[in-house]
Amino acid sequence: MLCALAAIPILIAVAVRLSSSVPPGRGPAFLDRITQNGLFVGVTAMLVSVPLFLPLTVGVVAGDTVAGEAGLGTLRYLLVAPAGRVRLLLVKYAGAVAFAVAAPLVVALVGAGIGAALFPVGPVTLLSGDSIGAAEALQRLLLIAAYLAVSLMGLSAIGLFMSTLTDVPVGAMASTVVLSVVSQVLDALPQLEWLHPWLFSHYWLDFADLLRQPIAWESFLTNALLQGGYVAVFGALAYGRFVTKDVLS
Amino acid sequence: MTRTWLRWMPAAVVPAVIAAGVLSGSLPASAGDPLPEKTPRQVLLMVAQHGEKSLSGTLEQTSQMGLPELPKAGAGSPETAWLELLTGPHTARVYLDGPEKARVQIMDRMAERNAVRNGDELWFYNSKDNTAAHAQLPADADGRHEARPGTATTPEELADKLLAKLDASTEVTVGTDVQVAGRSAYNLLLTPTSDATLVDSVAIAVDGETGLPLGVEVKARGQAEPAFSVAYTSLTLEAPDAAIFNFTPPPGATVEEIPVPDHKAAAALPPSDAAAAKAGKRPTVTGTGWASVLEFPAGAVALPGKAQGGAPDPATANPLRPGTSDPEGTRTVAAALLEQAAVAVPGGRLVSTSLVNVLILNDGRVLAGSVPLERLQAAATPR
Amino acid sequence: MTAAVPATELSIETTGLSKRFGHQLAVDGVDLAVPKGSVFGFLGPNGSGKTTTIRLMLGLAVPTGGSVRLLGEDMPRQLHGVLPRVGALVEGPAFYPFLSGAANLHRFDAADPHVPAATRKARVRSALERVGLTHAADKKVRAYSLGMKQRLGIANALLAPRDLLILDEPTNGLDPQGTREVRSLVRSLAADGATVFVSSHLLAEVEQICTHAAIMSAGRLVAQGTLEELRQGGQARIRVVTPDAGTAAEVLSRLGLSAATSPGGAAPGGGGVLYAPLPGAAGNGEAAPEAVVAALVAAGVRVRGFAIEQVSLEDRFVALTGEGFDVVQ
Ligand SMILES: Nc1ncnc2c1ncn2[C@@H]1O[C@H](COP(=O)(O)OP(=O)(O)O)[C@@H](O)[C@H]1O
Ligand SMILES: [Mg+2]
Repeated sequence: MLCALAAIPILIAVAVRLSSSVPPGRGPAFLDRITQNGLFVGVTAMLVSVPLFLPLTVGVVAGDTVAGEAGLGTLRYLLVAPAGRVRLLLVKYAGAVAFAVAAPLVVALVGAGIGAALFPVGPVTLLSGDSIGAAEALQRLLLIAAYLAVSLMGLSAIGLFMSTLTDVPVGAMASTVVLSVVSQVLDALPQLEWLHPWLFSHYWLDFADLLRQPIAWESFLTNALLQGGYVAVFGALAYGRFVTKDVLS
Repeated sequence: MTRTWLRWMPAAVVPAVIAAGVLSGSLPASAGDPLPEKTPRQVLLMVAQHGEKSLSGTLEQTSQMGLPELPKAGAGSPETAWLELLTGPHTARVYLDGPEKARVQIMDRMAERNAVRNGDELWFYNSKDNTAAHAQLPADADGRHEARPGTATTPEELADKLLAKLDASTEVTVGTDVQVAGRSAYNLLLTPTSDATLVDSVAIAVDGETGLPLGVEVKARGQAEPAFSVAYTSLTLEAPDAAIFNFTPPPGATVEEIPVPDHKAAAALPPSDAAAAKAGKRPTVTGTGWASVLEFPAGAVALPGKAQGGAPDPATANPLRPGTSDPEGTRTVAAALLEQAAVAVPGGRLVSTSLVNVLILNDGRVLAGSVPLERLQAAATPR
Repeated sequence: MTAAVPATELSIETTGLSKRFGHQLAVDGVDLAVPKGSVFGFLGPNGSGKTTTIRLMLGLAVPTGGSVRLLGEDMPRQLHGVLPRVGALVEGPAFYPFLSGAANLHRFDAADPHVPAATRKARVRSALERVGLTHAADKKVRAYSLGMKQRLGIANALLAPRDLLILDEPTNGLDPQGTREVRSLVRSLAADGATVFVSSHLLAEVEQICTHAAIMSAGRLVAQGTLEELRQGGQARIRVVTPDAGTAAEVLSRLGLSAATSPGGAAPGGGGVLYAPLPGAAGNGEAAPEAVVAALVAAGVRVRGFAIEQVSLEDRFVALTGEGFDVVQ
């Protein structure tokens, strides 16, 4: 899964390298900057992965947490070991979180690496027009990866809850991924503007605020708060469901 | 079973706690002492006297005027930029340090527009197409402002003058205190006395401590939500980091030099305006106060190519057409907006918003005002 | 039926245990009493509720009614105190197919926070050795045969010293050699002092290794006790071989014994076979067996064979659970 994610920045870098030139202002933001600065491969790859690839992989991992064990039948042996239901749930969520942290990090670092290999690396122009050195740019890249990791916490909790609902892992994965798509679609409907700040995907693309000078931390904080809320709500739901669940698989 | 119910408790309690937290957070914070009572004149005086020259803050602007949203940061052209700024919600960061250093950052999605002034240097930058514009201000630009005759009034005089001017058309009151960016503020309310205008009220939030205006809210008649509002969501009254005002265009950016007219030329009318006036294309004003109607003679306003024809030419009406920074493109965006928003009315077409109506007559004249359509039509018929 | 055993001497005790799935009662008021140190056979045809009962005992499912005590502690309240002392095989083995047998055991053992990690390697090795899987320890479970998985499942139950082993159909899928091995394994476990609770749908298996047994049918517990008690629960009967079956039946019914002809049909020599409950048993008349023979002979019945038969546990099992392949619903 992480390898599939790592392929995204590699594809982007190779495609840009092979194509003649990217006209400014076309395609995903930052794409036109790649030829001037390889570090933008990481940013572009993260931007491209946010709507689908990251939620998809996180949905698969989070949806598999409990339902995967139930599907294999190993859940009953873990429980009679006894692993403890709460402990098992926490360990499983920690696993999903670890993946959510690793996934954007892999995209960012592989992107920066392949970018550095194929393109020049130098000072990075921020959205505000100011330039920062490559070292600080790498820091920003890691910050964005952290932002995306936080952004995926809520989805991971939703996946965990979905995973406690069924013994069929594919069902939990699919419903989690579908939910992330639904959330993004709702976020695009202007008629539902009142709902937008409550959608877990609402701030996903605001990682761009980390590319401003000075950094606009508001979206990071708001996003973290929102994700925290989702983790609390769906964590409590997952707890309620899993602790009372009859394990019959 | 009680055990089962106990285990579902967190799932019920957590959303309840969050809901309670959100509700209590969104309630108007009545914390802090109420501000001492002040008359409108005293509040205006505070504004005139306020000495806050250094600040950094975030401005939030929303508008619900019933206009379609324009693509954000679509083009760097100043002609459409103002329209775009009026139609959608925006967040901007503002940095001020004295009169000579300022920076405004309009935070678009995945992009940013900057205006930076550092002494004589003036920079504009749009990250969307990586373009910058530079202007060198005349060295005495600010000295001139202060020396201008007629402006050398004391704050008291200024407040009195303003009140006297407003008196005929507007009721000026101070409403109940409001909270803006976490600060208690006086709420200066301007309510038009005339029924003929679309404007219901204008509310200006004035910081109770410093007199700094913190926000403006314009309400239209018959609309509960403000039609237009701009206010700080956060504010620090300290000098920002000096590095913020140092701007050099990034490598690879297209830089355009804006010629600045010299002192004498600047004192006169801008060339284009002067030309327009010579050609008899200056707007005329009928009515007074809030109900004033501006009339632009035919040809004064750039209209879409087929304005009279009705159906827009799809090729020119596409607002997303690339390369909109050329004048053609500018017109295209304006035209597209017009085509989208205009409805046919007897004698022409109407662009109607909750605050302003614009009537484009079939003969090419354009009437605009914060008044209902009937008054525009009445103003259009020659007496 | 059960000899009165003090509650503390019971490894498993359920009272009125019930589990409802939708409108179907899978387990219906089961009162099990499994004495400490016994090898307890839990018999019942497929679908009679054995696995469900075991899930309820292990706290995997919450009973609709009734309660479970395991090793003297309330389940599932004391689950964390009890389960480390219990090894279990529930509804067949289940493993991560992409891990080796040893890695699977490592993983399950690591799931239990109560056991020391330091001794894990040694415990896994000895558990694998006990079920004869040492040679396949590093093979991926994907490549295991059903019997090997079954052995690995038993090894998982033996990872730590246990006071109670609950094995659900442990010989499923095993070859005769494996079945024999499991039998001796169960005996050796019992010899070590553990209580072994073995469920099975095969009577022969239970008869060979168990000291106690209980019989489930359609979610209900229909009998339990020591094997001896269970056998006695069924009555002995007399078997009469005679060509004069009609007359013999008349004589027997005169004696108050309701005779039935054998389903097996004719006996060699053209005679019929008659069965009747053993006289002297409750409510079956006063005649002693020898008096029955005398009465038959006196009536001119040509008695070619006469025997008193003890009921086999199998007959008892069939009588209690019904015959044939119909899964009891
Ligand atoms: N998850 C379940 N949902 C609904 N019914 C079930 C479920 N598991 C078992 N049952 C029903 O409960 C009854 C007992 O099943 P089980 O305990 O597995 O029998 P056994 O182990 O004795 O073969 C069966 O009739 C079966 O259909
Ligand atoms: Mg079973």
